[in-house]
Amino acid sequence: MLANTKNAPAVENSPAQNKEAVNKKNVYKVEQLNLWYGKDQALINVNMDIPENEVTAIIGPSGCGKSTFIKTLNRMTEMIPIVKTNGSIYYRNENIFNKKYQVEYLRTKVGMVFQKPNPFPKSIYENVVYGPKIHGIKDKKVLDEVVEKSLKGAALWDEVKDRLKENAMGLSGGQQQRLCIARCLAIEPDVILMDEPTSALDPISTLKIEELVQDLKKDYSIVIVTHNMQQAGRISDKTAFFLNGEVIEYDDTATIFSSPQDKRTEDYISGRFG
Amino acid sequence: MGVRGMYDQELSRLKDDIFSMGEAVVEAFQEALHLLKHRDKEKMNEMVSRDATINKRELEIHDRATLMIARQQPVATDLRTTIVALKISSDLERVGDLAVDMVKATMRLNEEDYQIEIHELESMADVAVKMLNEALTAYQKQDLMRAQHIALLDDKVDKKYAQYIKELFTSSDKNNIGQATQLAFIGRYIERIADYATNLAEWIVYERNGKHFDLN
Repeated sequence: MLANTKNAPAVENSPAQNKEAVNKKNVYKVEQLNLWYGKDQALINVNMDIPENEVTAIIGPSGCGKSTFIKTLNRMTEMIPIVKTNGSIYYRNENIFNKKYQVEYLRTKVGMVFQKPNPFPKSIYENVVYGPKIHGIKDKKVLDEVVEKSLKGAALWDEVKDRLKENAMGLSGGQQQRLCIARCLAIEPDVILMDEPTSALDPISTLKIEELVQDLKKDYSIVIVTHNMQQAGRISDKTAFFLNGEVIEYDDTATIFSSPQDKRTEDYISGRFG
Repeated sequence: MGVRGMYDQELSRLKDDIFSMGEAVVEAFQEALHLLKHRDKEKMNEMVSRDATINKRELEIHDRATLMIARQQPVATDLRTTIVALKISSDLERVGDLAVDMVKATMRLNEEDYQIEIHELESMADVAVKMLNEALTAYQKQDLMRAQHIALLDDKVDKKYAQYIKELFTSSDKNNIGQATQLAFIGRYIERIADYATNLAEWIVYERNGKHFDLN
């Protein structure tokens, strides 16, 4: 079965976080996270709780550390040799920086969708089953089920069900991005990280992805980096504003977009700098 | 010019237009008071027909604010400024309507001499005029202290109104009941105008800090 497993105990909330979080489970708890690329510090004392089954948007000008931040959530930044980090990131109560922590496990639980759709040059079907096959699933019937469920989850099934054997490169940009989301869903993640997933898409495809994100949050916790302020306002429950590696403000999206507390947040979201 | 210089200019033009609409409304209210004292029929008709220009200004402000929301998608203070522009222009338009209602009630008094003292009514109206002027200045200068002071003035108007109505009932008889009724209406309109001035003050507070305060 492809049911999502979320049986980790609740993470205790820090009082500094918002009031709603008291009744909400968090998938992540980030504490005093610092990150350097060589001598350049890209993240400074980041503290953030990321709630379960919500969409958390990360906004901020180019170079503020938002992409770096979400890449640390599944330890992708450590693939860059000059990166150095300290602090803690608890995913479901376990510090992912622990030496014994299995990064492979983390990456099956935390899927990622990138800015540019990056399907494999294989059939639509093969793209979706790639992950499950690596995880040892060989039964054709199970794989067929995974394909249908994942493509349905990514709102792509109706458009491609009759041409699953065709090459994924023949799909439109928006369809390719939804295929990447389906590929991500196929490994039954708990969290989906999205790094500007619509910046290469036209407005209609963008809206489709946005609607999809709203549907997906019922079953997954989503963290999305976006340059599009309206998009953050439309689809997220919480928004974090990053500037020069620091979290300037993190609150309910409604608060950030109606009465932000920090002038820098206000200036950024109203387009006065960045 | 900053990144959103054009938009900032549009916002500030919107605020200027509201201020100037407010001045026109205060003028209409003062004219209604003047006509209550010096009942000039011709001028009363002129005043009533002039209300259409105030209504038109409100609609223009609404159209522009709507367009700004659609095209600029404002957030935070910009959004509140735009929303408050819509609310304040509507409240000012209602004050204009109430000034017209005062003139219409004055018309219904015909040429009769006042058998009932209108001094209290005038003194109440003076406070209401002050409240409107204070609200407009507070709006222009984003002056929260001034906005909050308006609530105190409203209490004064409410007391004067209650006192006036009491006096009307005690001093009216079957000979002047028609006049007393119209004056009671006028008193009520002035009291409502003061309430609208308080509404303006509440919107100014909201525009500045995003929180609603009931000053009434």
